[in-house]
Amino acid sequence: MEFGFTREEEAFRGEILGFLDQHRGVDGYFHRGTDTADGVRRVYRALGARGWLSLSWPSEFGGAGLPPAYEFLLWDELAYARVARPPMGPGLVAKALMTHGTAEQRGRFLDNLARGRTAFCLGYSEPDAGSDLAAVRTRARREGSEYVVDGAKCWTSNAHWSDYIWLLCRTGTPQSRSRGLSVLIVPLDSPGVHVSPIPTLDGGRLNEVRFDGVRVPSADRVGAENEGWQVVSSALAVERHVQFPPKRLRRDLQDLVDWTESAGLADDPLVRRRLSELAVRVAEVEALALALLGEVTSGQPSAVPAAHHKLAGTLLAQDIARAAAEFDSPEALVSGTDVEFMWRQAILETIGGGTSEVMRGLIARQEFGLAG
Amino acid sequence: MDFEPSPTQRALLDALGVLLSRRAGTGRSRELAQRAAYDHELEDALREGGFLDLYATEEAGPLGATLAVERTAAELGAVTAVPHLLVSPALGLGPGEGPTVLAVAGDTGPVRYGGTATRMLVAGADRCEVARLDPTRAQPEPTVYGYPLARVAAADRHELGPGTAATMLAWWRVGLSAEAVGMMRRALDTTVEHARTRRVFGRALGSLQALQHRLAELSVRVEGARWLVYEAAHLGAPPEAAAVAAAHTTAALHRLTRETHQLKGAVGLTVEDDLHLWTLRLQTLRAELGGLRAHRRAVSESRWAATA
Repeated sequence: MEFGFTREEEAFRGEILGFLDQHRGVDGYFHRGTDTADGVRRVYRALGARGWLSLSWPSEFGGAGLPPAYEFLLWDELAYARVARPPMGPGLVAKALMTHGTAEQRGRFLDNLARGRTAFCLGYSEPDAGSDLAAVRTRARREGSEYVVDGAKCWTSNAHWSDYIWLLCRTGTPQSRSRGLSVLIVPLDSPGVHVSPIPTLDGGRLNEVRFDGVRVPSADRVGAENEGWQVVSSALAVERHVQFPPKRLRRDLQDLVDWTESAGLADDPLVRRRLSELAVRVAEVEALALALLGEVTSGQPSAVPAAHHKLAGTLLAQDIARAAAEFDSPEALVSGTDVEFMWRQAILETIGGGTSEVMRGLIARQEFGLAG
Repeated sequence: MDFEPSPTQRALLDALGVLLSRRAGTGRSRELAQRAAYDHELEDALREGGFLDLYATEEAGPLGATLAVERTAAELGAVTAVPHLLVSPALGLGPGEGPTVLAVAGDTGPVRYGGTATRMLVAGADRCEVARLDPTRAQPEPTVYGYPLARVAAADRHELGPGTAATMLAWWRVGLSAEAVGMMRRALDTTVEHARTRRVFGRALGSLQALQHRLAELSVRVEGARWLVYEAAHLGAPPEAAAVAAAHTTAALHRLTRETHQLKGAVGLTVEDDLHLWTLRLQTLRAELGGLRAHRRAVSESRWAATA
C-alpha cells in the first residue's frame, strides 16, 4: 500500500493551482447566476490548450497517457475553486468513442473534444425513465441510412449551451428494455430538436429536449444497434473517479465555517460539535474517493467503491448544506449567501447521477450478492 | 376522551375549507410570491367569516383557532394567522389589521411579513411589549423561502402585564407547530400520490417496500406532531406542552423535507412542481423563535427548572 500522491502528481497539483490563479471567479461548478456558460467554455478551451482535457487518454488518441490520479487532481482542485466540473465530452463521450466508436467518429470528434471546442450533454433521463433507464421510450426508427428520432428527454443538464447530445434511445421493440437501446450523437441545432428550460429550486435550469422527426445519419450511432446499454454502462465506469470531487465538500465546509463566524455562532459549543462531526465525515469521503481512485488506477471493477463514495459524499453535501439551518438563525434564509444557496442546490446531489436509492441497491446486489 | 371534532368544529372547518379553496391555495400563493405580498383580501375574508375571533368563542375556543391556523397554512394562506388567531387573543388584544409580527427581545433577525407589518409583539424576559411599526423604516431581505422577510423598526411601544411573555411564547410555539403540521401533511400527501402513480422498473414506485417504510415513518412523525399540537392547544398552551409540541414538530420537519424531496426525485427539484411551496416555507418556520435548539431548551427549562 502506498498512501498519497507521487512527487510528480503533487508537482502537477502546483501547476493546476497556477492555472486557477487566472481563472478564479468563474462560477462553473454550480452555474449560479444566469450566464456562466461562456465563462465555463473559456475555461474548458484553456484546459484544452494545455492538453489537460486528455490527460488520461492513451497517446494513440492524442492524449498524455497519464494515470487517473492526474485528472482526479485537476477536477478536485477545480471543484474546490468552484470553477468547473469535468465536462461530459472529453470524459465520458471521448472514452466511449475510443472503445465503441468508428475510426471516422474518432477522427471527427476526438481532437475537438481534447481542445475543449465541443460540448456534449447527456440525453438519458425521460419523464418516465429516471432511475429506471431501461424504460427509455425516445424512439429512433431506421429509414435507409438514417434514423428518425421522436420523443423527449427531460432534466437534461447543460443542453442549452452544448453542441451535441449523447442520446440514449430505443431502436428495439417497446418491450425490449435494455436489449433494445442505442446511442446516437445528435447536434442540438438539428431541425426538429427543441430545447426548453425547466427552472429548478436553486435558481438554475435543467432542460427538456424534444425530438420531432429528427434525422440522424446511422453513421452517428455509437456501437452496434441495440447495444447502447453496454456503451452507456462502460462509459459510466471510466469516469467515476472524477464525477464527485471530494474537495467540493472541503470547500462547502469551509464556507459553512466562514458563515458561522460572520453570523456570530462560531463560539457556540453545539455549533462547534456539529462542525467537527462534519469535518470527520469530509475526511471519510476523501478516504473513500482515494480508495475508488486506487481501484480505477489498478483497473479493478469499481462500481461498488464508486457507489460507496457517491452515497456518502452526496449525503454529506446535503448535511453540510443543511447545517446552517440547524443552527436556527433566520439569517440562513436570506438570499445571496453561500449557505442559503447550498441548501437548495444540495437537494439535487442525492438525486442526479444515480439516486442514493440506486446506490444502496447496487451495493446490496454487487457487494453482497443479495438478490433483487 | 373524544378525539373526533365536534359538529360545531366540523362545520367551522368545512366553512373555512370553502373559504380557503376560493381565496388561497397553490396558484394564489405563487401569484402573491411574485410580489412578495401579504394577502389582505384573505385576512378580510377570515375576519368577515368570524375566523379571527374563534379563540374567544365558546364553541371553537383555542383548539378550534389552532385547527384554523393549521388549515390556513396547509392552503398556503399569505396571512399572519398565528398572531391574529392565537397570540393576540391569548394576550387579550384584538387581531389588528394587516400583518402582525412576533419577535423575541434583542433579536434583530428578519421576520415574516416584516416589510408591511404595522404591529409587533415582542417577548421580553417577563412581559410582552406591543410595538407600533413604521413600514417605511423596515429593511426587506431577499429570500425564496415562501414568506417575504424584513428587519423591522419599532416606532413606539408599551408593555403588557406581568407573565405575558410566557403566554406569548407558548402560543407562538403552538401556532407555528400547527402551521408546520398542516404543511407537512400536504407535502407528504403529494409525495404519497407521486409514489402511487409514478412507475419504475415496471411497478409503482410506492410498491417498493423500502420506500413504503420511509413514507410510513414520516406519517408517524406528522401525526405525532399533530396530536401534540392539539393537546397543547386544548390545555391552553402550558409552557412544557407547547415546547414539546414545537420541539417534536421542528425535528420532524427536517426529516420530512429531506425525505419528500428525495422520494419525489427530479420532479420535486423543479419550480413547476408544488412540493417546494410547502417545504421552503417549512424552513422559515424552522428558523423562527430560535428554532429546534430553543424549543428543546424550553422543554428542559419548563420541566426541570424547579430542581435545577
